Amino acid sequence: MDKLNIIYPEIFISLSIMFLLLLGVFKNNSSNLVISLSVVALIGTLILIFGYPINTNLEIFNGSYKIDYMSSYMKILTILSGIFVLLTSLKFLKIFKILNIEYPILILCSILGMMVMISSNDLIVFYIGLELQSLALYVLAAFNRDEIKSSEAGLKYFVLSALSSGLLLYGCSLIYGFSGTTNFDEISYLMNNDQYGLTFGIVFIIVGLAFKISAVPFHMWAPDVYEGSPTSVTLFFAVAPKVAALTVIIRFLYVPFINVIDQWQLIIIFLSIASMIFGSIAAIGQKNLKRLIAYSSIGHMGYALAGLCVGTNLGIQSSIIYISIYLVMNFGFFSCLFMLKRNDKYFENIEDLSGLAKNHPLISLSLMIILFSLAGIPPLAGFFAKLYIFKAVLHQSMYYLAIIGLLTTVIAAYYYLRIIKIMYFDLEKEKYDKDYNLGLKFTLTVSTILILFYFVYPSKLINIISQINII
Amino acid sequence: MLAHSLFFYVFSFIAIFSAIMVTASKNTVHSVFFLILDFISISCLFIMIGAEFLGMIMLIVYVGAVAVLFLFVVMMLNVAQQKKQWFSSFGSSKHIPLGVLISVIIFFELIIVIGGWKYKPEVFSSITESQNIGESNTHSIGNVLYTDYIHLFQLSGMILLVAMIGAIVLTFRKRAGLKRQSYFSQISRERSDSIDLVDVPHNKGVDIDG
Repeated sequence: MDKLNIIYPEIFISLSIMFLLLLGVFKNNSSNLVISLSVVALIGTLILIFGYPINTNLEIFNGSYKIDYMSSYMKILTILSGIFVLLTSLKFLKIFKILNIEYPILILCSILGMMVMISSNDLIVFYIGLELQSLALYVLAAFNRDEIKSSEAGLKYFVLSALSSGLLLYGCSLIYGFSGTTNFDEISYLMNNDQYGLTFGIVFIIVGLAFKISAVPFHMWAPDVYEGSPTSVTLFFAVAPKVAALTVIIRFLYVPFINVIDQWQLIIIFLSIASMIFGSIAAIGQKNLKRLIAYSSIGHMGYALAGLCVGTNLGIQSSIIYISIYLVMNFGFFSCLFMLKRNDKYFENIEDLSGLAKNHPLISLSLMIILFSLAGIPPLAGFFAKLYIFKAVLHQSMYYLAIIGLLTTVIAAYYYLRIIKIMYFDLEKEKYDKDYNLGLKFTLTVSTILILFYFVYPSKLINIISQINII
Repeated sequence: MLAHSLFFYVFSFIAIFSAIMVTASKNTVHSVFFLILDFISISCLFIMIGAEFLGMIMLIVYVGAVAVLFLFVVMMLNVAQQKKQWFSSFGSSKHIPLGVLISVIIFFELIIVIGGWKYKPEVFSSITESQNIGESNTHSIGNVLYTDYIHLFQLSGMILLVAMIGAIVLTFRKRAGLKRQSYFSQISRERSDSIDLVDVPHNKGVDIDG
């Protein structure tokens, strides 16, 4: 256990969870303090991740836990999303009177689970991490327990997610039964091509993971859960679990099973195409912004999966770039959503945005930039994200995937543009409150600037990502 | 050897008898008590075949937690009208054929498993982990659980912690205006804090608040 220093981030975050829990229990009215300390703990974890050389490939616990460049990058993304969720949600929680100490602690627990998932190189470790993060997420979805929609969201997510966990576990047991080991590296050594039991295992595990990233046809829970959960939790749902699950998909498919790519490639292509089409068409009729973003996230996951099905390092890299940019756009979008507040009441319908440009020109300007970017209009960041995906797909001459992707982008642009039209050309409504807190302003500014000026230095991100080589 | 088989028959008899009584007794509280007795005799059987870890886990988890939880749940139900009668009448139950069918299926499954074991004993030895002689089960489980799988062990602990926090978040309600006993302030109270000796002037009242 001389290598224990490589899991200092995980140890640190677990210790801070327990410390903050004790602090919150024994000190009265310490919710604000616990939230600020959680942000500090997350920043400390970030520093610890940067602390050791991240370019190395390290393994611990008999190779079941892996620290490499991809895991460090994805962990940084997850932790950053945790920090931004905590920064933006303070005021929201206060108004809904759910500012409890458990909120940041559950988010920390969930992030710990995601970090374990991201680093897992073994089926058991991956499953335990998955359960840790989803258990915390069930509670977070039902956090506003006095509201019936929130309880419904929590229960719905719990039941469906437990079902998918069962399928996933069944897949794990099949793979263990047919290969005799749970370690990803060892599975890849022991595997021979004619083991059809392994294919069944892969299919079940992909089903479980597709549920976690809400890819069609395992997306049914997403709109209801996104709508019912408190908005700050919805933001967390929309970003962090997807990063973790995508990493696991990459590691699971590309480490042990890259040799049987013909077995799983079609499944991923189907998931990707179905998600892209469904995400763009079903979002058109939505009136609630949170439901809309749920469908839009289904579509975006379709693009991310399109990068994964090509089976090359270029595809993985484009997928990771896509999810990074998707994260930034979601933070911007949800910050705008948090700003639609009047007399301690939040508004989340599309028509509430009507005429926003007259009263709040700055918010509507940044929301317009974010929406253009979500739609993939050049020269914003969202365009480049899609460009890399299409480049990777075309590189393997999978033209039909690229064509479907382009067509759905055009369809999806309709509902993004409709919001912009409502904002700029419809009749104005009452003004919204202007008492934004610092975290909210900071998040919106940073995300808008990142989206707007990404094209100036696109090589920065590409240089970072291009060091991720899984195969 | 005779004592061993004698104990085996005693425990098996108690186990089967109490298992029948769980379903047959009318009073649900009695059922739960027979369930506990059943668990205890089964754990004795486990200990007799040398699976002491399994036996102790059975005691701790099933008797210590699950059966007591059952007892709590049963006691919350209204069982007052069932107290007079010891056995539920067989005529009233419509589920006996189904139960018998399932029991027969389980019986045949057991026969298949044991038959496979008798015919091909080498299959079982190939998938079981070899064990040092003279080392107890608990010892060998601990040897891997606290070394190779320590991270999983700790993470399972974190999962339980999250489950606990979640249960508290979703059910605990803070009631306003509730007066609680504060042991610390009670014990740390001094005589001088609560008793004030005043000289009362003749024919005049005392200003207590001052």
